[in-house]
Amino acid sequence: MRGELVNWLSPQNNTPTLPSPFKGEGLSGGKRKTMETLAFQGLVGLSLAMYLWLIAAGLTIVFGVLGILNFAHGSLFMLGAYFAFTFYGLLGINFWLSILLSVIGVGLVGLVMERFFLRFIYHLDVAYQLLLTFGFILIFDDAVKMIWGGVFMIPPMPDFFTGAISIFGRLFPVYNLFIIGAGIGVAIALWLILERTWWGRIIRASASDREMASAIGVNIPILFTAVFMFGAALAALGGALSTPVRVVAPGIGGAIIIQAFVVTVIGGLGNLKGAFAGAVIVGVLTAYGILLFPIFELFIIFVVMAVVLLVKPEGLFGG
Amino acid sequence: MIVHKGVSITTLLILALIVFLFFIPHLAGKYVMYMTMHILIFSVFALGFNLLLGYTGLLSFGQAGFYACGAYGCAKVLLVMPSLLPGIISGVLFAGVTALILGFLCIRHTRIYFAMLTLCFGMMIYSLAWKWHTMTGGDDGLVGIPRAPLEIPGIFSLDMTSMGNYYYFVLIVCLLAIILLYRIVNSPFGLTLQGIRDSESRVAFAGISVKNYRLIAFTIAGLYAGLAGALLPPLENTVTPPLAHWTHSAEPVLATLLGGIHTFSGPIVGAFLFYVIKDIIVRFTEYWLICLGIIVLALVMGLPGGVVSIFEKRLIPWVRLRFIERSPR
Amino acid sequence: MKRVTGILGVALSLVFILSGAVSAADLPGVIKIGGQGVTSGAHADYGRQMIMGATLAIDEINAAGGILGSKLEMKFMDSELKPAVAVKNARYMVQEWGAHLLFGVDSSGVCMAVGPVLPELDRIHIFCHASTEKLTENLVYKKGIKNIFRISVPVYQDSIVAAMIFKDFPEIKRWAGINCDYGYGRTSWALFKATMKKYRPDVEFVAEVWAPFWTGDFSPHLSAVMAKKPDAIFSTPWAGEAVMLLRQALLLGVFDQIQVWWQAMGGSVDALEGLAREVKGNKFKGKLWATARYIHNWPDTPDNKAFIKKYLKRWARYPNYSAETSYSAIYVFKAAIEKTKSLETAKLIKAIEGMRIKCPGGERYFRPEDHQAVYTVPAGKVIHDPAYPLPVLGELRVIPAEDYYRKPPFPPVK
Repeated sequence: MRGELVNWLSPQNNTPTLPSPFKGEGLSGGKRKTMETLAFQGLVGLSLAMYLWLIAAGLTIVFGVLGILNFAHGSLFMLGAYFAFTFYGLLGINFWLSILLSVIGVGLVGLVMERFFLRFIYHLDVAYQLLLTFGFILIFDDAVKMIWGGVFMIPPMPDFFTGAISIFGRLFPVYNLFIIGAGIGVAIALWLILERTWWGRIIRASASDREMASAIGVNIPILFTAVFMFGAALAALGGALSTPVRVVAPGIGGAIIIQAFVVTVIGGLGNLKGAFAGAVIVGVLTAYGILLFPIFELFIIFVVMAVVLLVKPEGLFGG
Repeated sequence: MIVHKGVSITTLLILALIVFLFFIPHLAGKYVMYMTMHILIFSVFALGFNLLLGYTGLLSFGQAGFYACGAYGCAKVLLVMPSLLPGIISGVLFAGVTALILGFLCIRHTRIYFAMLTLCFGMMIYSLAWKWHTMTGGDDGLVGIPRAPLEIPGIFSLDMTSMGNYYYFVLIVCLLAIILLYRIVNSPFGLTLQGIRDSESRVAFAGISVKNYRLIAFTIAGLYAGLAGALLPPLENTVTPPLAHWTHSAEPVLATLLGGIHTFSGPIVGAFLFYVIKDIIVRFTEYWLICLGIIVLALVMGLPGGVVSIFEKRLIPWVRLRFIERSPR
Repeated sequence: MKRVTGILGVALSLVFILSGAVSAADLPGVIKIGGQGVTSGAHADYGRQMIMGATLAIDEINAAGGILGSKLEMKFMDSELKPAVAVKNARYMVQEWGAHLLFGVDSSGVCMAVGPVLPELDRIHIFCHASTEKLTENLVYKKGIKNIFRISVPVYQDSIVAAMIFKDFPEIKRWAGINCDYGYGRTSWALFKATMKKYRPDVEFVAEVWAPFWTGDFSPHLSAVMAKKPDAIFSTPWAGEAVMLLRQALLLGVFDQIQVWWQAMGGSVDALEGLAREVKGNKFKGKLWATARYIHNWPDTPDNKAFIKKYLKRWARYPNYSAETSYSAIYVFKAAIEKTKSLETAKLIKAIEGMRIKCPGGERYFRPEDHQAVYTVPAGKVIHDPAYPLPVLGELRVIPAEDYYRKPPFPPVK
């Protein structure tokens, strides 16, 4: 029926015929899909998801505690990538040290953002928050062009990561496994910090009731700055970890912030569990979409998000 | 400020501006005429957007989706039936219907979720325009759209191929749209919207369906975005998917912020400033994004009321003090 | 409130108009050339190389006395890969800045928007990069927009040449496509498949994936394709994305499993620089093939060698094809103006139609049917050559352009 509709709307249909998912034609041309292929693709999707998780985690923490939706969080991811590239690719510093340095560096950028700009608009409408952080996107995009030039850059892969392991009968890059591990590690670490430490309790208290927390002696301004820096650091970690495999170029921030928004909305704004779940859903679904419905790839995550919002408006874990 | 027989300075100045706009094709070069048309179209776009933000308190980051609906709708019709009015009307209606449907889904949410939902619906329209290349031409877009004549069959037909003629058409349509919107926001409907923006629960207690009013406002904003979009294809000859991208949705947001969210004319002033600033900056440096970003920062931090508020709060009182109140009457 | 709008509007309008009026002044004795391309983002190198190539040509011509005594001046703007911006730039350059000639434009979508505006602007435009066949087949041949000329190779070269080469590899039967998700990717893949089917009906196309612009990670695409165990891969993402795609392919062990990887535009300088390490280490195991719309080690003529030497001396980089095309475009303008002794559009069009001109990349012939420059470029394996600091194309296959360029009446691409 879709084919007929398409023909009616444009009689000279001279595009190449693609396999139609509605007829069950995936890439295999038939209905059989080996479990191995599906499992492998899912694993690939999981590694994709981890970058999203890192940004979404930062975004969620910042929103949950400060109430600010940081549009520029993708730009912080991009800055993390640029810093890591500079330390590791250009200056030849040890890979792990480079990651640490970029995270700290972007944390400092976050410090400036919060302390000198965001702090003054907490009382304003959410529109102004989005606008201010959008202004930062514009500034960061041009700033990286001015400092590093507008061309893309790719650093070398650290030697100990250049292998691949056979999983599900196919070769899975070691680096992707590392990313999955890192993402899960961050998730566990965040859970531990928030649930088991004194700091975590303060953060959770301030998130749920700012005035009360202030009344019992929590220094809210300093806490907010620290939390924002921490959120920025998480985004930067994602960016820094992505440099060996992804292009470092202006504009990668804009591309990834939309995905991060989708993730947080699906999971529930302000909910870390939701952010993790949302990231996994988006990553894995995108990977499966490419495998099974190649035509619809761009579209898929938006549809999923719209469906979630319509069915459960606060997000899967929200409320 | 009444000057003479009930006509205020304000009205005189606006009339002067309108007359000036009518003379632009004779006063200025083709490029300026082209830019003025873009500014007029953008003003209509931004005004529709501000109906949602300034008057109803809803920040929509997806208006470009409806703009694109207007543009593609008009283009598709013009390609088969080269007559200007059906094209424009189709574009507007297509955008309006889309806004009604999507609005119904969005209106249940507010604030952040509303903004994010509209952002994502706008991107859905973008990816649809990109992917459905048999219908929309994909990334190449729809090409070869004629600048069709303005005609009512049997009565008259005005050729539009000269940029000057099309300029007058765009000018008149935009002026009418602006006047219409002015009437809307100053009507009871507009007042209700402002009530909803300021205190949703009170309005609800008064027995008014907040959701319905929001939906109507959303649809009107969509119609205006669609009108702006529909005026584009005859001007540019092509429509392409980036018209629906969220970065395009950000433009009326920025323009309205520049001009002033809480006034009617804010988006118009902002539209003008936005275009002029970008055009001038781009002549001198390729780094116009950072300049724009700094301006945005400065405005949000220092001047949330926009440029118009400088005049409201500082310049006009100063002018009044110095020139008007001192002179003998 | 409204008086504010009035004052503001009138005052700023005057400033705006006057500033325009001042800058539109036409200087006698100076020929203005307006160019645009993408100078930011993952594809920025192409715009930059265009600037470098054109600047080199203009400086050379000016040093030699200009064109018939008139000096050349260039303005280059960023098209941001956006059609609306490119159209505005074109209008600005012609109507405000006073450009007499136009060149450049990187992307297919963008050139389709700029082309139809040219008759209104009454200028000729030499397109230096955008390769969609629709520019010449539709806009010039079918719609008669004669202002358009293309000096760079069209998409035929990326796709048809691949089929012409690999039809002679009997062991390669299963092809998969990793394509960028827009007109260029679609047409390349369609043309490749159609040509392949003609010569090798036994070939199967087992998988295809589509990657939009700004794809950060190609691993899901690669793993989806490799699940079908193809013998060879046809790939069209370009610039930074090509480098990333190939590196991710290496990580996934793709080059151990396939026999051939065809990378369209893989021979362009930014891709070669990005892959230099891997090529030197023979990571691609001699399986990476690429087209080069221009490659620095071919043709082996004194013209080409001189061009590369000059370019290296001036810019300390190897010229990309967008540099060679823009360099040559300026010389095409020169040849045309010297012939017509005028800047009138209609005369210039007549002068360039049918022109044969020697360029660093070889001799070009602007065929009158669709204003497409016909010239031959090679394809080959991406290999390391110690004589060069970046990879070159080796085992060159040189197929004359006349043999495979599509010809009127241009049947639709199926």
